[in-house]
Amino acid sequence: MRKTKESKGNKGDLDFAEKRTANALYKKRAGVTESFHPVILLVYFVGMAAVTMVTLHPVLLGVSFIGAVFCTGMLTGMRKLLKSLAYSIPMLAVIAVINPMFVHKGETILFFYNNNPVTLEAILYGAAAALMIVAVFYWFKCYSIVMTSDKVIYLFGRILPRLSLVLSMTLGFVPKLKKQYKKISAAQKSMGMYASNSVTDRVLSRFRVLSALVGWALESSVETADSMSAKGYGLRGRSSYATYSWTRRDLFILVFVLLALGVLTAGMSLGAGVGFYPAFKGISAGLWDIVAYAGIAVLGLFAGLMELWENIKWRLFVSKV
Amino acid sequence: MKKDLLVLCIVGVMIAFLVTGTKIQSVDDYYLTHLDEIAEGSETVFLGIRCDTILDNWGDLDPNLRYEKYVPGDGILLPLTEYALRPGDTVFETLNRAVRHNRIQMACVYSYQYSSVYVQGINHLFEFSCGPLSGWMYQVNGRFPNYGCSQYKLKDGDVVEWMYTCDLGRDVGGDFWNLGATAYAPADPIARLHRAYAAEGGEI
Repeated sequence: MRKTKESKGNKGDLDFAEKRTANALYKKRAGVTESFHPVILLVYFVGMAAVTMVTLHPVLLGVSFIGAVFCTGMLTGMRKLLKSLAYSIPMLAVIAVINPMFVHKGETILFFYNNNPVTLEAILYGAAAALMIVAVFYWFKCYSIVMTSDKVIYLFGRILPRLSLVLSMTLGFVPKLKKQYKKISAAQKSMGMYASNSVTDRVLSRFRVLSALVGWALESSVETADSMSAKGYGLRGRSSYATYSWTRRDLFILVFVLLALGVLTAGMSLGAGVGFYPAFKGISAGLWDIVAYAGIAVLGLFAGLMELWENIKWRLFVSKV
Repeated sequence: MKKDLLVLCIVGVMIAFLVTGTKIQSVDDYYLTHLDEIAEGSETVFLGIRCDTILDNWGDLDPNLRYEKYVPGDGILLPLTEYALRPGDTVFETLNRAVRHNRIQMACVYSYQYSSVYVQGINHLFEFSCGPLSGWMYQVNGRFPNYGCSQYKLKDGDVVEWMYTCDLGRDVGGDFWNLGATAYAPADPIARLHRAYAAEGGEI
């Protein structure tokens, strides 16, 4: 701490500058999964999301959720992960509570709500469905971080030029709008708005920001369209430049991912069945169940563990310098 | 700050409104029902619940429900039983009292569209549990009324049967598209009632 203060005074301090660069490098370090070939990223993340979507098995969903959150945490950093978990975990709880309000199936009746049974099974089903939604959400979050728009266009630009362009633009819209929202609210703050202590006033002033945001979005989409047509998007023969080379490592990883996906699919189709109504049954430990559990554990934690491993290596490297 | 207080008041009123609209009961409280004694000359109705169509469509039944406790071997969840009729009782109220007394699980919703109660499931057998055309229907005196069950007022001596259909009513004799014209019931409840009483040596 003391040293930092001193260094701040002396701008020419080489040691401090070096440390800062190293720090910045460390923070901006591209994830190892980002360096995989786009085909692998597509197979892995879409595969994980698909596997998560088709099952309601609590063990599979739990492991998939942990894997997705782990991977997101490794890619975005702890602080951003905690921020998003602060939104998604209450959402999970809300979905889990909403289901038993409308579904009265199930044997284990906890109590009666307006003459209808509220059952443990319905709550479990709601929790499993919520876990599935949140896990898929996190898988797609990882996907959108590592699968940048140039990779999407590299993969699908030849086969589906229009669709890949639209997809990559649409996926880019959320962060774009977020950024603009922050800009607008910062501008309004600097004009002296939001000074009121009243919560109602502050909430209502958000609507003003939102209306400005919608106006901006409409205007910018028109401008984007003009600009893109001027640059010749959508014309035949437009090429793109990308340097994604297929390496031995990529081959190993692809074989591994496909093998694990195959094992997992076999385990899920022959075992790991689940039923919620009228009585919950699902967590069994037959041969195929265990195959499915092992498959999802290996595949689900793969990306996060790769990132962790690279992180550890990087840390060792940084401390040596 | 005044605005905050106002919003707080509105939210408070909304929560109070929601809370007064809900009734939470423990399981024992719920099943604790009082059945009126049947005295000489009191008005009564008969009520039965059957799901024997499932036995003919066993393959369509949800595998999790293929147990004796959900679908009894004879398909009868509640044999035709005599219940005291309270003034203004509808089919739904009679059913509700009967299932509570017998601790049979039931789930229903109030449908604003038809301003009536819709019975989703009885004894864990729900709509769509046995194929896409399955669900609960009721008949009174062998006819399927084109009414919601909480709109049909009962009179003395009515025979109500709740039946599980696997084919939109066609397999129990109540063609959904031709309800008014249907006066035919394959398992005539009144005849069955007479047989049941005759077997016990009683008179109806």
